[in-house]
Amino acid sequence: MAAVTASRPRASKAESFVDNKRKEDIRSANINAGRAVADAVRTSLGPKGMDKMISTASGEVIITNDGATILNKMDVLQPAAKMMVELSKSQDSAAGDGTTTVVVLAGALLRVCQTLLGSGIHPTVISDALHKSCAKSVDILTAMAVPVELTDRDSLVKSASTSLNSKVVSQYSTLLAPLAVDAVLSVIDPEKPEIVDLRDIKIVKKLGGTVDDTHTVNGLVFDKKVSHAAGGPTRMENAKIAVIQFQISPPKTDIEQSIVVSDYTQMDRILKEERNYILGMIKKIKATGCNVLLIQKSILRDAVTDLSLHYLAKAKIMVIKDVERDEIEFVTKTLNCLPIANIEHFRAEKLGYADLVEEASLGDGKILKITGIKDMGRTTSVLVRGSNQLVLDEAERSLHDALCVVRCLVSKRFLIAGGGAPEIELSRQLGAWAKVLHGMEGYCVKSFAEALEVIPYTLAENAGLNPIAIVTELRNKHAQGEINSGINVRKGQITNILEENVVQPLLVSTSAITLATECVRMILKIDDIVTVR
Amino acid sequence: MPIDKIFKDDASEEKGERARMASFIGAMAVADLVKSTLGPKGMDKILQSTGRGHSVTVTNDGATILKSLHIDNPAAKVLVDISKVQDDEVGDGTTSVVVLAGELLREAEKLVTSKIHPMTIIAGYRMAAECAREALLKRVMDNKENAEKFRSDLMKIAMTTLCSKILSQDKEHFAEMAVDAIFRLKGSTNLESIQIIKKPGGSLRDSFLDEGFILDKKIGIGQPKRIENAKILVANTAMDTDKVKIYGARVRVDSMTKVAEIEGAEKEKMKDKVNKILAHGINCFVNRQLIYNFPEELFADAGVLAIEHADFEGIERLGLVTGGEIASTFDNPESVKLGHCKLIEEIMIGEDKLIHFSGVAMGQACSIVLRGASHHVLDEAERSLHDALCVLSQTVNDSRVLLGGGWPEMVMAKEVDELARKTAGKKSHAIEAFSRALVAIPTTIADNAGLDSAELVAQLRAKHHNEGCNAGIDVISGAVGDMEERGIYEAFKVKQAVLLSATEAAEMILRVDEIITCAPRRREDRM
Repeated sequence: MAAVTASRPRASKAESFVDNKRKEDIRSANINAGRAVADAVRTSLGPKGMDKMISTASGEVIITNDGATILNKMDVLQPAAKMMVELSKSQDSAAGDGTTTVVVLAGALLRVCQTLLGSGIHPTVISDALHKSCAKSVDILTAMAVPVELTDRDSLVKSASTSLNSKVVSQYSTLLAPLAVDAVLSVIDPEKPEIVDLRDIKIVKKLGGTVDDTHTVNGLVFDKKVSHAAGGPTRMENAKIAVIQFQISPPKTDIEQSIVVSDYTQMDRILKEERNYILGMIKKIKATGCNVLLIQKSILRDAVTDLSLHYLAKAKIMVIKDVERDEIEFVTKTLNCLPIANIEHFRAEKLGYADLVEEASLGDGKILKITGIKDMGRTTSVLVRGSNQLVLDEAERSLHDALCVVRCLVSKRFLIAGGGAPEIELSRQLGAWAKVLHGMEGYCVKSFAEALEVIPYTLAENAGLNPIAIVTELRNKHAQGEINSGINVRKGQITNILEENVVQPLLVSTSAITLATECVRMILKIDDIVTVR
Repeated sequence: MPIDKIFKDDASEEKGERARMASFIGAMAVADLVKSTLGPKGMDKILQSTGRGHSVTVTNDGATILKSLHIDNPAAKVLVDISKVQDDEVGDGTTSVVVLAGELLREAEKLVTSKIHPMTIIAGYRMAAECAREALLKRVMDNKENAEKFRSDLMKIAMTTLCSKILSQDKEHFAEMAVDAIFRLKGSTNLESIQIIKKPGGSLRDSFLDEGFILDKKIGIGQPKRIENAKILVANTAMDTDKVKIYGARVRVDSMTKVAEIEGAEKEKMKDKVNKILAHGINCFVNRQLIYNFPEELFADAGVLAIEHADFEGIERLGLVTGGEIASTFDNPESVKLGHCKLIEEIMIGEDKLIHFSGVAMGQACSIVLRGASHHVLDEAERSLHDALCVLSQTVNDSRVLLGGGWPEMVMAKEVDELARKTAGKKSHAIEAFSRALVAIPTTIADNAGLDSAELVAQLRAKHHNEGCNAGIDVISGAVGDMEERGIYEAFKVKQAVLLSATEAAEMILRVDEIITCAPRRREDRM
């Protein structure tokens, strides 16, 4: 057996001769494609990262800093490049933030893999080493993290603002960060404190004003107009709100029907009957004391007609029409009422109550606000404003990222320093660990450790600092045991980043590193592209 | 006199040598394509679709790769078919079977060039295959009597299957899951009652096995989110409106009120239907089709949990696991078999809400929830887990196991070699060739792992010269090792199927001496 073990390193190095040209071509093509994608988003990393302007096929223009959005719109074709896009999407759904980081990290890992492959190491060996260093990295990161309590609102706000700082809307981070924290905290169900469903937070965008005017609404906001058709009320105090899923319009049967009219008097009668029919419905509604109607959009027939609007206005009932079916659940949850699908079931106990329903004009449009809801469900609405469509969209995306960051903290209550500190610390510890490993593995791990420096390097580069000077100084600091030293981009120097309040959830870092390694390993293991049906 | 054309235009005919060459080349090309996916260090392939969306699949599963290939070569199609059959029959070994068949043909090609008649080769192959099977049968282990040992055998088999797949890093976790699931089945091979749900997000390690059934649907608004001792009616009925199916049916009325009356009548009819359904004494109603707002509200009023749009697979499984029948008429409540379960509740996995049925009537049922970084990972994980489940369910019935890591091939090769020496006549060349083809499998495994295959296989052969040797290739350490110690096991049934179907396929292709390609059916010029 001794002979076997002795011959091992030789055996794995002296690979028997096989023609691997095609496989290597495919692999390097994949790696190059992956790196190209990573390079494309590299400059948008960090608080001083740049934005990208994307002009989509339909001529629409998007300006964003969000990695997931950029990649999503890039429309790549190469399969490996597609996997990088998927990677960023996964990070988006897992953590919501760090979508650029994960791609940059994967790109850096791919680059070292290419060097390692070039020196004749088998892809599966590299892949295994990657897996091991990934597991080790997660351990290191967990050891670095500081626990956080949900009651500690300050820490939550800090991490939300770290996320917002790299966005277009960074100057509003003092406003948006607390807003995101409060929004998430308000929808936590005390029975299941681990889980936050972001669908319980509704973001309504409205053009006009500035991002400064963004605020949460304690109640419900609709980007809809109150129906003005017949001069109905636009403001209602002590509102009794009904959410209806039937239509107030002339009857329509499912079976095809036609009304045969043979003379003029009959026509008159039909008109009268139609009027009576609608009037009958409205009387029933009025009888329950309802004074605000939210009507679900209907495709089969008109939800309301001019005639019914007229009568509703006369009955002093406010009408909001075209509520999407998907929104019904959110609306009923918020208003604490039940949807009503048939006029026969229109009963007072199914109504929701609110102090005030009013239409407010904002900019050139109007929105509807419902406030002071009785027994409001655990939901929140945020009204986002912006001076133009591009800013508005970017503000929404940034707010979404911030919400995700807070959600991460709710499900995994640990914080970690930002500003490249965790990456450099990982790099240091992995480098030390590599020295105790044997053979190929140690060599691979060492290279990965170096690859992780790409994050602080890019951060510094994007901020216009000298990346080499910064990274070496950072390395020095970390070697002296100051594990929380990171790049302070604002001051352009290295400081204790925890004191600077640059923090991010642990989940973002761990998920970035695990997802990036998983993706790189998958790309490494591919040796052929087969075209199929 | 020249013969008139026998075939239509565009039809082609290839004969004798050319036909044989064409089929050899085709089959070998296919075998070489999947060869690099064999073994624990096998590589993956990207399958890039040329269809709409250019969707991308990353896989290591031989059957999946072959299934989706564009193939024009008839012999290659035979190999694709055997891989498919292997997938359906035993679930694993889909790559091995193709590689072995390819190697058998490669050897056959050499023999044919040295002027041995295909029929002689076939006879030799048959003898060799029979002998190889005998050799395996002599060495099988059977631990059926000892429940604990049997379980550990199953665990090892599952891990061996999984180690060549994407799940290799968490193979203990998944092997445990697969074995638990199989033990719930209690010997049935019906994998239907194991449901696999894929949810992106989290990592593979977060996957779990759950007793009961999970339905990826939402509970209607305003209905109870938790029901104990549920009585479930599984139905496939239109809950929008019962339409008259006769084309052009219409009613003529002469006034608005009458239209309103008809509408009212329709509503009334729906209400009747709901009441009929409610008369079954149920508290949960699952429908395959949509449930409109109106009946949904009626159900909510009655405190019944109604689930709409459970797709076809969903209700079939639900009927199976809860012991209910799928109903579509509701006139005789006593004749409809209701499903039962202890508890229905809403659970949250990742970002999505799902409905969980626990304590179902059929105890075997369970759900495996897979979590992973992306759809690629999840799809591949599902395929891998499916392979493991197939193999395990087969092993539960046929509990004979073998060692893995190229061990069975070496054992077979040794016996076949012996036979070659004993056999007189030209057949012995073919038998010898068979043994060489068998050795190609450990060679490929070693090659894929970047090891020196010639060296390792030589060592292995030397080891196997001793009786009762357990040596095989240990890819992880890159050396020859004792497979029993390493716990690398394979199911006998899989190996047997690989051996027999590969031989059969090779035989079939060898017999061919003429390929006739029919003229493609002409399409009308619609352009």
